[in-house]
Amino acid sequence: MKYLITTLMIMTVTATMAQDGKATTIKNTFNRQTSVSIRIESDPAIIWKLLTNASDFPRWNSTVISIEGEIRKGEKIRLKSTLDETRTFKLKIKEAEPEKMMIWGDGKGNRVYILTVNKDNSVQFSMSEKIGGLMFPMYAKYLPSFDESFEQYAADLKREAELIANTKN
Amino acid sequence: MTADALTQEFEEFSGQLKSFILRITASVQDTEDIVQESYLKAYSSLDTFQGESSLKTWVFSIAANLAKDNLRARNRWTEDVSDICKEKALTNQQFFQEAMQIRQTSPQGQFEIKEHIAMCFTCISKSLPLEQHLVLLLKEIYDFRIKEIALIMDQTEAMIKYYLHTGRETMIRIFEKRCSLIKKEGICHQCTELNGIFNPKQNAQEEIVKIKMARDAEKEGKEKLFDLRAEIIKGIDPFTSKAATLQLHHLEHNRQVMEAYLKKDG
Repeated sequence: MKYLITTLMIMTVTATMAQDGKATTIKNTFNRQTSVSIRIESDPAIIWKLLTNASDFPRWNSTVISIEGEIRKGEKIRLKSTLDETRTFKLKIKEAEPEKMMIWGDGKGNRVYILTVNKDNSVQFSMSEKIGGLMFPMYAKYLPSFDESFEQYAADLKREAELIANTKN
Repeated sequence: MTADALTQEFEEFSGQLKSFILRITASVQDTEDIVQESYLKAYSSLDTFQGESSLKTWVFSIAANLAKDNLRARNRWTEDVSDICKEKALTNQQFFQEAMQIRQTSPQGQFEIKEHIAMCFTCISKSLPLEQHLVLLLKEIYDFRIKEIALIMDQTEAMIKYYLHTGRETMIRIFEKRCSLIKKEGICHQCTELNGIFNPKQNAQEEIVKIKMARDAEKEGKEKLFDLRAEIIKGIDPFTSKAATLQLHHLEHNRQVMEAYLKKDG
Protein backbone atom coordinates (compact mmCIF):
# COMPACT_ATOMS: atom_id res chain seq x y z
CA MET A 1 0.00 0.00 0.00
CA LYS A 2 2.80 2.38 0.99
CA TYR A 3 4.65 1.52 -2.24
CA LEU A 4 1.47 2.25 -4.22
CA ILE A 5 1.05 5.65 -2.57
CA THR A 6 4.69 6.55 -3.26
CA THR A 7 4.38 5.43 -6.88
CA LEU A 8 1.19 7.46 -7.35
CA MET A 9 2.88 10.46 -5.78
CA ILE A 10 5.80 10.19 -8.20
CA MET A 11 3.51 9.71 -11.20
CA THR A 12 1.53 12.80 -10.22
CA VAL A 13 4.73 14.81 -9.81
CA THR A 14 6.27 13.86 -13.15
CA ALA A 15 3.04 14.20 -15.10
CA THR A 16 2.37 17.78 -14.08
CA MET A 17 5.69 19.48 -14.58
CA ALA A 18 7.47 21.30 -17.37
CA GLN A 19 10.99 20.10 -18.20
CA ASP A 20 12.83 23.39 -18.73
CA GLY A 21 13.69 24.63 -15.26
CA LYS A 22 10.58 26.80 -15.06
CA ALA A 23 8.44 26.23 -12.01
CA THR A 24 4.69 25.75 -12.19
CA THR A 25 2.15 26.00 -9.41
CA ILE A 26 -1.31 24.45 -9.33
CA LYS A 27 -3.64 25.87 -6.71
CA ASN A 28 -6.73 24.11 -5.38
CA THR A 29 -9.02 24.84 -2.48
CA PHE A 30 -7.28 22.49 -0.11
CA ASN A 31 -3.77 22.30 -1.49
CA ARG A 32 -1.09 23.88 -3.62
CA GLN A 33 1.57 22.10 -5.62
CA THR A 34 4.75 23.67 -7.02
CA SER A 35 6.95 21.69 -9.39
CA VAL A 36 10.10 22.13 -11.40
CA SER A 37 12.10 19.85 -13.66
CA ILE A 38 15.45 20.35 -15.33
CA ARG A 39 17.83 18.31 -17.51
CA ILE A 40 21.28 17.90 -15.97
CA GLU A 41 24.32 16.60 -17.83
CA SER A 42 25.86 14.74 -14.95
CA ASP A 43 25.93 11.41 -13.20
CA PRO A 44 23.00 10.46 -10.94
CA ALA A 45 25.52 9.52 -8.22
CA ILE A 46 26.89 13.07 -8.18
CA ILE A 47 23.39 14.59 -8.02
CA TRP A 48 22.40 12.18 -5.28
CA LYS A 49 25.50 13.09 -3.25
CA LEU A 50 24.70 16.79 -3.59
CA LEU A 51 21.11 16.18 -2.50
CA THR A 52 22.06 14.12 0.54
CA ASN A 53 25.09 15.93 1.98
CA ALA A 54 23.27 18.17 4.46
CA SER A 55 26.15 20.34 5.67
CA ASP A 56 27.38 21.03 2.12
CA PHE A 57 24.03 22.42 0.87
CA PRO A 58 24.66 26.13 1.59
CA ARG A 59 27.88 26.00 -0.45
CA TRP A 60 26.10 25.32 -3.74
CA ASN A 61 22.42 25.94 -3.12
CA SER A 62 21.59 29.63 -2.76
CA THR A 63 18.06 28.89 -1.48
CA VAL A 64 19.30 27.01 1.59
CA ILE A 65 20.75 28.76 4.62
CA SER A 66 21.49 25.59 6.56
CA ILE A 67 20.49 21.97 7.03
CA GLU A 68 21.24 20.18 10.28
CA GLY A 69 21.01 16.43 10.59
CA GLU A 70 21.54 13.56 8.21
CA ILE A 71 19.61 13.20 4.98
CA ARG A 72 18.87 9.50 5.26
CA LYS A 73 15.62 7.57 5.32
CA GLY A 74 13.97 7.80 8.71
CA GLU A 75 16.15 10.70 9.91
CA LYS A 76 14.90 14.15 10.88
CA ILE A 77 16.48 17.35 9.62
CA ARG A 78 16.24 21.04 10.51
CA LEU A 79 16.13 23.21 7.41
CA LYS A 80 16.51 26.99 7.16
CA SER A 81 15.57 28.37 3.78
CA THR A 82 15.71 31.79 2.17
CA LEU A 83 11.93 31.46 1.67
CA ASP A 84 11.49 32.37 5.34
CA GLU A 85 14.75 33.05 7.14
CA THR A 86 13.06 33.29 10.53
CA ARG A 87 11.72 29.75 10.49
CA THR A 88 13.35 26.38 10.96
CA PHE A 89 11.48 23.60 9.18
CA LYS A 90 11.59 20.28 10.98
CA LEU A 91 11.29 17.63 8.32
CA LYS A 92 11.45 13.86 8.17
CA ILE A 93 13.11 11.93 5.37
CA LYS A 94 10.16 9.68 4.58
CA GLU A 95 11.55 7.81 1.57
CA ALA A 96 15.00 7.60 0.01
CA GLU A 97 16.02 5.33 -2.81
CA PRO A 98 19.62 6.20 -3.78
CA GLU A 99 20.01 7.91 -7.15
CA LYS A 100 16.26 7.57 -7.82
CA MET A 101 13.90 9.33 -5.45
CA MET A 102 13.48 10.95 -2.07
CA ILE A 103 10.57 12.39 -0.10
CA TRP A 104 10.93 14.92 2.73
CA GLY A 105 8.01 16.26 4.62
CA ASP A 106 6.07 17.24 7.71
CA GLY A 107 2.40 17.20 8.65
CA LYS A 108 1.50 19.90 6.14
CA GLY A 109 3.13 18.56 3.02
CA ASN A 110 5.75 16.63 1.16
CA ARG A 111 8.61 17.47 -1.14
CA VAL A 112 9.36 14.81 -3.73
CA TYR A 113 12.68 14.56 -5.59
CA ILE A 114 12.96 12.29 -8.60
CA LEU A 115 16.00 11.48 -10.73
CA THR A 116 15.45 9.79 -14.08
CA VAL A 117 18.24 8.86 -16.46
CA ASN A 118 17.43 10.06 -20.00
CA LYS A 119 18.28 8.13 -23.16
CA ASP A 120 21.28 10.40 -23.76
CA ASN A 121 22.57 9.58 -20.23
CA SER A 122 21.72 13.01 -18.88
CA VAL A 123 19.55 13.12 -15.77
CA GLN A 124 16.10 14.63 -15.44
CA PHE A 125 15.81 16.17 -12.01
CA SER A 126 12.26 16.78 -10.85
CA MET A 127 11.20 18.40 -7.61
CA SER A 128 7.67 18.99 -6.38
CA GLU A 129 6.12 20.15 -3.15
CA LYS A 130 2.50 19.76 -2.24
CA ILE A 131 1.12 21.61 0.77
CA GLY A 132 -2.39 21.13 1.91
CA GLY A 133 -5.02 19.83 4.29
CA LEU A 134 -8.34 20.87 5.72
CA MET A 135 -6.87 24.01 7.28
CA PHE A 136 -5.07 25.02 4.07
CA PRO A 137 -7.61 27.75 3.07
CA MET A 138 -6.95 29.47 6.42
CA TYR A 139 -3.20 29.96 5.88
CA ALA A 140 -2.89 29.78 2.09
CA LYS A 141 -2.72 33.55 1.67
CA TYR A 142 0.25 33.76 4.05
CA LEU A 143 2.35 31.30 2.07
CA PRO A 144 4.94 32.88 -0.21
CA SER A 145 5.22 31.69 -3.81
CA PHE A 146 7.76 28.89 -4.20
CA ASP A 147 8.24 29.37 -7.95
CA GLU A 148 11.34 31.55 -7.91
CA SER A 149 12.99 29.52 -5.16
CA PHE A 150 12.31 26.23 -7.00
CA GLU A 151 13.76 27.58 -10.23
CA GLN A 152 16.86 28.78 -8.39
CA TYR A 153 17.22 25.44 -6.60
CA ALA A 154 17.07 23.52 -9.89
CA ALA A 155 19.48 25.93 -11.61
CA ASP A 156 21.97 25.74 -8.72
CA LEU A 157 21.86 21.94 -8.73
CA LYS A 158 22.36 21.81 -12.50
CA ARG A 159 25.32 24.22 -12.38
CA GLU A 160 27.05 22.39 -9.53
CA ALA A 161 26.43 18.84 -10.79
CA GLU A 162 27.62 19.72 -14.31
CA LEU A 163 30.68 21.50 -12.94
CA ILE A 164 31.64 18.37 -11.00
CA ALA A 165 30.95 16.07 -13.95
CA ASN A 166 33.23 18.20 -16.12
CA THR A 167 36.20 17.93 -13.75
CA LYS A 168 39.36 17.44 -15.76
CA ASN A 169 40.73 13.90 -15.75
CA MET B 1 56.34 -9.08 -12.03
CA THR B 2 59.27 -10.31 -9.96
CA ALA B 3 59.98 -9.45 -6.34
CA ASP B 4 63.16 -7.67 -7.39
CA ALA B 5 61.26 -5.52 -9.86
CA LEU B 6 58.73 -4.67 -7.16
CA THR B 7 61.49 -3.65 -4.76
CA GLN B 8 63.20 -1.54 -7.39
CA GLU B 9 60.03 0.23 -8.52
CA PHE B 10 58.82 0.65 -4.93
CA GLU B 11 62.06 2.47 -4.14
CA GLU B 12 61.35 4.93 -6.94
CA PHE B 13 58.00 6.10 -5.56
CA SER B 14 58.45 5.33 -1.86
CA GLY B 15 59.30 8.97 -1.12
CA GLN B 16 55.96 10.07 -2.57
CA LEU B 17 54.15 7.27 -0.77
CA LYS B 18 55.74 8.25 2.52
CA SER B 19 54.83 11.92 2.21
CA PHE B 20 51.27 10.96 1.13
CA ILE B 21 50.78 8.86 4.26
CA LEU B 22 52.36 11.52 6.49
CA ARG B 23 49.94 14.10 5.09
CA ILE B 24 47.05 11.79 6.02
CA THR B 25 48.16 10.61 9.45
CA ALA B 26 50.33 13.56 10.58
CA SER B 27 52.43 10.96 12.40
CA VAL B 28 55.97 9.95 11.41
CA GLN B 29 55.71 6.69 13.34
CA ASP B 30 52.38 5.68 11.76
CA THR B 31 53.71 6.69 8.34
CA GLU B 32 56.71 4.42 8.65
CA ASP B 33 54.52 1.54 9.82
CA ILE B 34 52.03 1.97 6.97
CA VAL B 35 54.70 2.31 4.29
CA GLN B 36 56.45 -0.81 5.53
CA GLU B 37 53.17 -2.73 5.74
CA SER B 38 52.26 -1.58 2.23
CA TYR B 39 55.50 -3.03 0.88
CA LEU B 40 55.01 -6.30 2.73
CA LYS B 41 51.40 -6.60 1.52
CA ALA B 42 52.43 -5.84 -2.04
CA TYR B 43 55.26 -8.38 -1.78
CA SER B 44 53.05 -11.13 -0.37
CA SER B 45 50.24 -10.58 -2.88
CA LEU B 46 52.39 -9.86 -5.91
CA ASP B 47 50.81 -12.81 -7.74
CA THR B 48 47.43 -11.01 -7.64
CA PHE B 49 48.85 -7.95 -9.42
CA GLN B 50 47.56 -8.31 -12.96
CA GLY B 51 49.08 -5.16 -14.39
CA GLU B 52 45.65 -3.58 -14.96
CA SER B 53 47.04 -0.43 -13.41
CA SER B 54 50.58 0.74 -12.82
CA LEU B 55 52.42 -0.81 -9.89
CA LYS B 56 52.50 2.63 -8.26
CA THR B 57 48.69 2.91 -8.45
CA TRP B 58 48.32 -0.60 -7.05
CA VAL B 59 50.66 0.04 -4.12
CA PHE B 60 49.01 3.39 -3.39
CA SER B 61 45.66 1.57 -3.22
CA ILE B 62 47.12 -0.85 -0.67
CA ALA B 63 48.52 2.07 1.34
CA ALA B 64 45.29 4.08 1.09
CA ASN B 65 43.33 1.11 2.44
CA LEU B 66 45.75 0.73 5.34
CA ALA B 67 45.54 4.46 6.00
CA LYS B 68 41.73 4.34 6.02
CA ASP B 69 41.95 1.87 8.91
CA ASN B 70 44.46 4.00 10.80
CA LEU B 71 43.04 5.83 13.79
CA ARG B 72 45.20 8.92 13.27
CA ALA B 73 44.18 9.11 9.62
CA ARG B 74 40.52 8.76 10.57
CA ASN B 75 40.88 11.51 13.17
CA ARG B 76 39.48 14.64 11.57
CA TRP B 77 40.79 17.97 12.80
CA THR B 78 39.04 21.32 12.74
CA GLU B 79 39.62 24.07 10.18
CA ASP B 80 40.84 26.45 12.90
CA VAL B 81 43.62 23.97 13.78
CA SER B 82 46.28 26.69 13.38
CA ASP B 83 44.60 28.93 15.98
CA ILE B 84 44.14 26.09 18.46
CA CYS B 85 47.74 24.91 18.08
CA LYS B 86 49.19 28.42 18.16
CA GLU B 87 47.44 29.15 21.45
CA LYS B 88 48.88 25.97 22.96
CA ALA B 89 52.36 26.65 21.56
CA LEU B 90 52.46 30.13 23.08
CA THR B 91 52.20 28.64 26.55
CA ASN B 92 54.56 25.76 25.80
CA GLN B 93 58.09 26.97 26.46
CA GLN B 94 59.55 23.56 25.77
CA PHE B 95 58.13 23.57 22.23
CA PHE B 96 59.92 26.80 21.34
CA GLN B 97 63.15 25.74 23.06
CA GLU B 98 63.22 22.49 21.08
CA ALA B 99 62.34 24.30 17.85
CA MET B 100 65.10 26.85 18.39
CA GLN B 101 67.55 24.04 19.12
CA ILE B 102 66.59 22.33 15.87
CA ARG B 103 66.87 25.65 14.02
CA GLN B 104 70.41 26.16 15.31
CA THR B 105 71.82 22.65 15.09
CA SER B 106 69.97 20.59 12.51
CA PRO B 107 71.01 20.48 8.84
CA GLN B 108 67.28 20.29 8.10
CA GLY B 109 66.33 22.97 10.59
CA GLN B 110 65.94 26.04 8.41
CA PHE B 111 62.71 27.98 8.48
CA GLU B 112 61.22 28.80 5.10
CA ILE B 113 57.80 30.31 4.55
CA LYS B 114 57.11 27.89 1.68
CA GLU B 115 57.72 24.93 3.95
CA HIS B 116 55.40 26.34 6.54
CA ILE B 117 52.74 26.78 3.83
CA ALA B 118 53.08 23.05 3.14
CA MET B 119 52.78 22.16 6.81
CA CYS B 120 49.77 24.44 7.14
CA PHE B 121 48.14 22.69 4.15
CA THR B 122 48.71 19.32 5.82
CA CYS B 123 47.02 20.47 9.01
CA ILE B 124 44.05 22.20 7.37
CA SER B 125 43.39 19.40 4.89
CA LYS B 126 42.92 17.11 7.90
CA SER B 127 39.65 18.95 8.54
CA LEU B 128 38.17 17.54 5.31
CA PRO B 129 36.20 14.30 5.40
CA LEU B 130 38.71 11.46 4.88
CA GLU B 131 37.56 10.55 1.33
CA GLN B 132 37.85 14.18 0.20
CA HIS B 133 41.25 14.45 1.87
CA LEU B 134 42.68 11.36 0.15
CA VAL B 135 41.27 12.26 -3.26
CA LEU B 136 42.46 15.86 -3.03
CA LEU B 137 46.01 14.77 -2.20
CA LEU B 138 46.11 12.08 -4.88
CA LYS B 139 44.94 14.47 -7.60
CA GLU B 140 46.37 17.84 -6.65
CA ILE B 141 49.66 16.84 -5.02
CA TYR B 142 50.53 13.45 -6.49
CA ASP B 143 49.11 14.00 -10.00
CA PHE B 144 47.13 10.78 -10.28
CA ARG B 145 44.39 10.79 -12.91
CA ILE B 146 40.71 10.45 -11.97
CA LYS B 147 40.64 6.92 -13.39
CA GLU B 148 43.64 5.89 -11.28
CA ILE B 149 42.20 7.49 -8.15
CA ALA B 150 38.96 5.55 -8.73
CA LEU B 151 41.06 2.36 -8.64
CA ILE B 152 43.00 3.46 -5.55
CA MET B 153 39.84 4.43 -3.69
CA ASP B 154 37.67 1.63 -5.11
CA GLN B 155 35.01 4.17 -6.08
CA THR B 156 33.39 5.28 -9.33
CA GLU B 157 34.96 8.12 -11.29
CA ALA B 158 31.80 10.18 -10.65
CA MET B 159 32.34 9.87 -6.89
CA ILE B 160 36.01 10.78 -7.21
CA LYS B 161 35.02 13.93 -9.09
CA TYR B 162 32.51 14.75 -6.35
CA TYR B 163 35.07 14.27 -3.55
CA LEU B 164 37.69 16.24 -5.43
CA HIS B 165 35.38 19.15 -6.17
CA THR B 166 33.95 19.41 -2.67
CA GLY B 167 37.39 19.01 -1.08
CA ARG B 168 38.88 21.72 -3.28
CA GLU B 169 35.99 24.09 -2.70
CA THR B 170 36.24 23.63 1.06
CA MET B 171 39.99 24.23 1.09
CA ILE B 172 39.62 27.30 -1.12
CA ARG B 173 36.97 28.72 1.22
CA ILE B 174 39.15 28.12 4.29
CA PHE B 175 42.26 29.72 2.75
CA GLU B 176 40.24 32.67 1.42
CA LYS B 177 39.06 33.33 4.95
CA ARG B 178 42.31 32.62 6.75
CA CYS B 179 45.43 33.07 4.68
CA SER B 180 46.86 36.60 4.79
CA LEU B 181 49.26 35.67 1.98
CA ILE B 182 46.35 35.69 -0.48
CA LYS B 183 43.85 38.00 1.24
CA LYS B 184 44.62 41.22 3.10
CA GLU B 185 41.75 40.44 5.49
CA GLY B 186 43.08 36.92 6.12
CA ILE B 187 43.18 36.23 9.83
CA CYS B 188 46.25 33.98 9.87
CA HIS B 189 49.78 35.43 9.68
CA GLN B 190 51.50 32.46 11.27
CA CYS B 191 54.08 31.86 8.54
CA THR B 192 55.36 35.45 8.66
CA GLU B 193 55.23 35.53 12.47
CA LEU B 194 57.32 32.38 12.69
CA ASN B 195 59.69 33.73 10.07
CA GLY B 196 60.25 36.68 12.39
CA ILE B 197 61.13 34.30 15.23
CA PHE B 198 63.36 31.88 13.32
CA ASN B 199 64.87 34.32 10.82
CA PRO B 200 64.96 37.62 12.75
CA LYS B 201 67.33 39.29 10.30
CA GLN B 202 65.18 38.51 7.31
CA ASN B 203 62.59 40.89 5.87
CA ALA B 204 59.41 38.80 5.74
CA GLN B 205 57.91 40.92 2.95
CA GLU B 206 60.92 40.24 0.76
CA GLU B 207 60.50 36.54 1.40
CA ILE B 208 56.79 36.66 0.61
CA VAL B 209 57.25 38.28 -2.79
CA LYS B 210 59.44 35.34 -3.77
CA ILE B 211 56.33 33.16 -3.55
CA LYS B 212 54.30 33.28 -6.75
CA MET B 213 51.01 32.56 -4.97
CA ALA B 214 51.48 35.61 -2.74
CA ARG B 215 52.86 37.77 -5.54
CA ASP B 216 49.91 37.00 -7.82
CA ALA B 217 47.28 37.09 -5.08
CA GLU B 218 45.60 40.27 -6.28
CA LYS B 219 45.44 39.44 -9.95
CA GLU B 220 44.57 35.75 -9.83
CA GLY B 221 41.27 34.07 -8.99
CA LYS B 222 40.84 31.76 -6.02
CA GLU B 223 40.99 28.56 -8.14
CA LYS B 224 44.33 29.55 -9.66
CA LEU B 225 45.65 30.56 -6.24
CA PHE B 226 44.76 27.11 -4.95
CA ASP B 227 46.63 25.55 -7.89
CA LEU B 228 49.66 27.70 -7.05
CA ARG B 229 49.45 26.56 -3.44
CA ALA B 230 49.32 22.93 -4.61
CA GLU B 231 52.44 23.59 -6.70
CA ILE B 232 54.27 24.70 -3.55
CA ILE B 233 53.23 21.54 -1.69
CA LYS B 234 54.24 19.33 -4.63
CA GLY B 235 57.73 20.80 -4.55
CA ILE B 236 58.32 19.91 -0.92
CA ASP B 237 59.19 16.50 0.46
CA PRO B 238 58.42 16.75 4.18
CA PHE B 239 61.12 14.18 5.00
CA THR B 240 64.02 15.51 2.96
CA SER B 241 63.48 19.25 2.61
CA LYS B 242 65.72 21.92 4.12
CA ALA B 243 63.22 22.50 6.89
CA ALA B 244 62.09 18.90 7.37
CA THR B 245 63.21 18.42 10.98
CA LEU B 246 61.79 21.76 12.11
CA GLN B 247 58.46 21.27 10.32
CA LEU B 248 58.08 17.65 11.46
CA HIS B 249 58.64 18.84 15.02
CA HIS B 250 55.92 21.44 14.50
CA LEU B 251 53.57 18.88 12.94
CA GLU B 252 54.12 16.49 15.84
CA HIS B 253 53.23 19.30 18.25
CA ASN B 254 50.06 20.10 16.30
CA ARG B 255 49.03 16.45 16.17
CA GLN B 256 49.42 16.06 19.91
CA VAL B 257 47.47 19.27 20.54
CA MET B 258 44.67 18.23 18.18
CA GLU B 259 44.42 14.73 19.64
CA ALA B 260 44.06 16.21 23.13
CA TYR B 261 41.61 18.82 21.84
CA LEU B 262 39.42 16.25 20.06
CA LYS B 263 39.51 13.93 23.07
CA LYS B 264 38.36 16.75 25.34
CA ASP B 265 35.67 17.74 22.87
CA GLY B 266 34.36 14.18 22.91
